[in-house]
Amino acid sequence: MARYEMKPAFEARMKKLMPDKEDFEAFSKIVHTGPRNFVRCNTLKISPENLVERLKLKWNVIQPFKEYPEIILINQELGPGEIGNALEHLLGHYYVQEVCSMMSVIALNPKPNEFILDLCASPGSKTTQIAMKMENKGTLIANDVAMGRIAILASNLEKNGVTNAIVTRMDSVNLCTKLENQGMKADKILLDAPCSGEGTLRSSPKTFLMWNEKVVNNLSRQQKKLIAHAIRCLKVGGTLVYSTCTHAPEEDESVIDFALKNFPVKVEHISLPLKCRPGLTEWKTDNYNKEVTKTCRIYPQDNDSEGFFVSKLTLLKEIE
Amino acid sequence: MQINFIKSKEKEKILEELNKQFGINEIPFMLIRGGNEKIRGFSGNLTREQLDKLSQLLRIELIGIYLIKNEHENDFRPSMDGIHLLKNQITKNIIEIDDEQFKSWIRGNDLDIKTEKGTFIISYKGDFIGSGKSNGERIFNYVPKDRRLRK
Repeated sequence: MARYEMKPAFEARMKKLMPDKEDFEAFSKIVHTGPRNFVRCNTLKISPENLVERLKLKWNVIQPFKEYPEIILINQELGPGEIGNALEHLLGHYYVQEVCSMMSVIALNPKPNEFILDLCASPGSKTTQIAMKMENKGTLIANDVAMGRIAILASNLEKNGVTNAIVTRMDSVNLCTKLENQGMKADKILLDAPCSGEGTLRSSPKTFLMWNEKVVNNLSRQQKKLIAHAIRCLKVGGTLVYSTCTHAPEEDESVIDFALKNFPVKVEHISLPLKCRPGLTEWKTDNYNKEVTKTCRIYPQDNDSEGFFVSKLTLLKEIE
Repeated sequence: MQINFIKSKEKEKILEELNKQFGINEIPFMLIRGGNEKIRGFSGNLTREQLDKLSQLLRIELIGIYLIKNEHENDFRPSMDGIHLLKNQITKNIIEIDDEQFKSWIRGNDLDIKTEKGTFIISYKGDFIGSGKSNGERIFNYVPKDRRLRK
């Protein structure tokens, strides 16, 4: 794997996020290693027990979390394309998904017969996980904006046997506005927002090169617009999970602080099977609402995973 | 997007044919006609009226899953994923293949198997791996490209 170094501005930010020297060194070390091979059993097609039995014939597999038997780790080195070329993958028995990326849907906790929106759905890892938890019952609107991304999403939905999804191609702000105008409110919404991807350094080392602070600030503005429209589409008492694969507070706590300032929402505690650090209440010159400490920062060095941010909001009353 | 719902009488006819061909006796989905003679199945809990309303409101690309292809009149071929969804009902026109045939089939090749003309479900060690059409001398491969093993 090509080795890229951190840009000085990025390194300075990370050191600020991880003031403990050993902690930062552990982070710097792990982001230069490839990610572990996690897959998620697709229970729409096969039980975790049966899948594990099949996979054990070719690989060393373990289920690291008792409460989530669908999360499977292939605990060995794999050849190029080996995980994607297995018959079980072609049959849609599992989805190749990094463990952090599974956390948003665990936080969302979808149930059968709910009306759920997945606003930035492609390539469909979380969409297929939502449909799985819904047992294909209820309605799932899976939205993305670009045609190329829709094709990947559609292919993954088919392969995973998702039958309760409606795929839409719209700007998420426009989609939420139209649904809100018709009074069509969702029980649950997943907003896995477009982000600067600081948490994906292990699987996508080019992020080292592509990262810049201007992009972080631009994305932060876009994310606030998205969450504002998403909240308006939520039923009173409904749940919105906001997640990103970045560590930048501008794209994480700042967005949740914005939601708390402008809407009648509260931040919920989340119980996840990974080590989480509480959300930050200060960054640069900004101070955030103390409620943001209930959000989860997932760091690669804590879990031998990628990096992630997850938060869960409940709408308390009608928006005036 | 104009949603072209398949009416219950037509659904009955489709089911009758699928029953004759494969033993299928229930399609637990709302059926929608898509492009290229594809029939899609939707298991969501919205009514036709709600779906129609939604289609006027949103830019819908797809609903549900591609289940069956209506090749010709009274000729229906289940898609790879349709087969998986209906697998517990499929009892007829199944061809079991061996290791060598599997390696070839999953790479997108046709099978040189002499059989009656018609559509067959291909099975390998208990897994249904798509459908094929036979001309009597050869079974033509319909495994979608993105579901094949790379050569």
